[in-house]
Amino acid sequence: MSDDPFEAIKVTFFQECEELLGDLETNLLALESGDTDIETINACFRAVHSVKGGAGAFGLEDLVRFAHVFETLMDELRSGRKPVDDITVRTLLRASDVLNDHVSAARGAGPAVDAERSQALIAELETLTHGAPVSAAPGAGTASAGEDDFGFTPLTLALDDLGGGELPPLDLPPLAFIAPYAPANQEQTGWKIVFRPHPRLYANANETGLLIRELGRLGPVTVEMDDSGVPLLDALEPNDSHLVWTMTLDAAVPEIDVRDVFDFVETDCDLNITPIMSGAAEVLPDLGLPDIGLPELGVSDLADPLELPAADASAGEVDIAALVALAQADTAARLNGEAPPLEVVSPAPQPQAAPVAARTPPAAAASQGAATQAPVTIRVDLERVDRLINAVGELVIQQAMLAQRVYESGLARSSDISLGLEDLELLTREIQDSVMAIRAQPVKSVFQRMPRLVREVADMTGKRVKLITAGEDTEVDKTVVERLAEPITHMLRNAIDHGLETPQEREAAGKPAEGTVKLAALHRSGRIVIEISDDGKGINRQRVRAIAEERGLITPEQVLTDDEVDNLIFLPGFSTAKEITDVSGRGVGMDVVRRSIQSLGGRISISSNPGKGSTFSMSLPLTLAVLDGMVVGAADQTLVAPLAAIVESLTPKPEDIHLVGGVDPVLMFRDEFVPLIDVARSMGFRDVPTELRGGVVMIVETEAGQRAGLLVDAIHGQRQVVIKSLETNYRHVEGVAAATILGDGRVALILDIDALVTTGRRRNSTRSDLKMAS
Amino acid sequence: MTKTVLTVDDSRTMRDMLLLALQDAGYRVVQAVDGVHGLEVLHQERPDIVITDINMPRMDGFGFIEGMRSNPDYSCVPVLVLTTESDAAKKQRARDAGATGWIVKPFDPVRLVDAVRRVAA
Repeated sequence: MSDDPFEAIKVTFFQECEELLGDLETNLLALESGDTDIETINACFRAVHSVKGGAGAFGLEDLVRFAHVFETLMDELRSGRKPVDDITVRTLLRASDVLNDHVSAARGAGPAVDAERSQALIAELETLTHGAPVSAAPGAGTASAGEDDFGFTPLTLALDDLGGGELPPLDLPPLAFIAPYAPANQEQTGWKIVFRPHPRLYANANETGLLIRELGRLGPVTVEMDDSGVPLLDALEPNDSHLVWTMTLDAAVPEIDVRDVFDFVETDCDLNITPIMSGAAEVLPDLGLPDIGLPELGVSDLADPLELPAADASAGEVDIAALVALAQADTAARLNGEAPPLEVVSPAPQPQAAPVAARTPPAAAASQGAATQAPVTIRVDLERVDRLINAVGELVIQQAMLAQRVYESGLARSSDISLGLEDLELLTREIQDSVMAIRAQPVKSVFQRMPRLVREVADMTGKRVKLITAGEDTEVDKTVVERLAEPITHMLRNAIDHGLETPQEREAAGKPAEGTVKLAALHRSGRIVIEISDDGKGINRQRVRAIAEERGLITPEQVLTDDEVDNLIFLPGFSTAKEITDVSGRGVGMDVVRRSIQSLGGRISISSNPGKGSTFSMSLPLTLAVLDGMVVGAADQTLVAPLAAIVESLTPKPEDIHLVGGVDPVLMFRDEFVPLIDVARSMGFRDVPTELRGGVVMIVETEAGQRAGLLVDAIHGQRQVVIKSLETNYRHVEGVAAATILGDGRVALILDIDALVTTGRRRNSTRSDLKMAS
Repeated sequence: MTKTVLTVDDSRTMRDMLLLALQDAGYRVVQAVDGVHGLEVLHQERPDIVITDINMPRMDGFGFIEGMRSNPDYSCVPVLVLTTESDAAKKQRARDAGATGWIVKPFDPVRLVDAVRRVAA
């Protein structure tokens, strides 16, 4: 937290803005989907309102201005003066994006706001609100200050300009009123205030005594109270107000200052303020100021004059207290005829002294203020969680080792030790799951960013798109969540840019003009599956084929299934857009998507239905902390190959293996030659080539889609392993992605398939000098 | 004696600003996040002064003041309303709702404390 509390609050403000804008978007989307619940509209209004309020406090004028226009329209919708229709909601959604930009810019976390876009939206919002844009000069980055009737300069002295509406111009010299009656050489010396409270003044917890105290801060005050209006006890209506006060302020302060004192009660009393001129021994008669209904009372009727000594803000407390007692008597009578006035009177407040005496360090007191909000979550440094996850990983390994020892010792399965170990295993698994759950996050944080992207892409491509999301609460490990955004972004762009047709094309095809893109997340067999489907035109297989042939990706003779054709779009350099659009751009093709997914240990596939749409689905591991691996043996080493990369495993037939140039072995695999990599030799475990006939080949696929066969001695089975970074603990080793510890306590290296395939062939022929250090 | 101020606002930023300004001026501050919460805290803390926002979820400021004023225990507790507008209609609306006074947002700490002092008995 910053030392400057104001700066700290600013940080809070931006955090809050993020939440508010998230809420705003969620609620606007709810509106878009037809939810017209007033609470939804209110929530939108409040979000914008709070952003504006905070922004005003920090003097973020551009943000305030934009938020204000936004808020005004929301207010119209909230009050029902304007219907919530499609156009309005869509405009609001776009406005929320710009509002977001304004917040980012104000925070310094984003580029400056596109002034033209902002101004255009302000005009749109105003058109919706008023039927026409209010501010002129479109394109001007900042609207004229007069555009809005709110005074949002941070230092607006709100209390000063209150109550000014009906007043004569303030700089008008008081003499002007009385000029016809007063000698020209007279000067104003003070003010006479005749004040008659209405019952509501008290009902709203205002007090005459407090007003007098306030007036006393301006100068010496003399107060006279007229109690002649108080009826006899049997006729007394306790909730009525019966007293009339005449206060004489002996200070020539500006009228606005006097009005200010009565600002809060302005309409809850009869108030007549007149200047007192020098030489005027008694109060001047009413000089034709607007009659505010002062009743049958004349100055002569006033009784019980009360003298107040000069009250310089803090000095006159004793006398004011006495006065308060009198004023309170009135209140007391109103509330409860029996209450002794003096009991109601609170001790004279000491506005200056008390605050100083009670000053507390803000930090210490902050906890007190926050105590009323029960925390439901705690923030924990991610590093601590990671450490815990590591420790649990060790625990799992240790437990597996213990189990193996017990097994090796030949103890019966029904022995106490074995049974206890089983319980331990269950417990360990539970701990592991719970710990991973700590770091698990819903994919919502990523999904939430997508509606905006969809709107922008839709705007750019001139298409109309409705985004439906499902399964936002699906949880995956934080490490995975962070890396989901990029592939999802690419796939969504692709779906809108290439998948959906233009509104005209859609209508011609008998579809609704608005296309639908669905983004869904779900758990399936220990993986998270993200599906992105559109109801667009589907993949044009003839065109895909033609392009692939044109680019030399396939030969015209090749016979491909529909699925295979569809999957051609994942090949590097493939782009089906006729022109390079803003959206897709060059190089951001599906091959990039596939690569980034594969680097996460994921897979992507497509299914397409011409004319009906396409569905991309990618599946990813739930965590990057554990890995599904194939445990294999090469030489005397145990290695782990990531399961995601393995296409299939087979025992090679000698006649399928050929040597290219007499050196590099290739394997005939489904009518295709794939390079065969001798893992043991490639890793430097063995100098002589592995005996081909006794080995097993795993067909693997690299991120780039290259296939190769990995020759190993044996396959031991599939296992989930805890990933241990080799770089952190040792150093980077070519061909090795990470390491793990197996149940028997041995360290096993996890193969980096990509590195092996790209460098393996070279190593096959030129002997590697890499030796295992084990 | 230290006076207790209850602030009711759904915006964390605004709550923090009120807290800072009022604590610096020597008030004890208790806070609530909406009208419903405000009434709860009101009963627990019996504040001397209340400052409330108008636009809040669950129960807005008008509902909150109404709830206060209808309870004889709190009918005499001064209430200041936080408002972003300073026009006469808004002020009248606040008065009609039973507010003692108002503070126009954005406020500066001096003005805020001044307004609190004015209504504090």
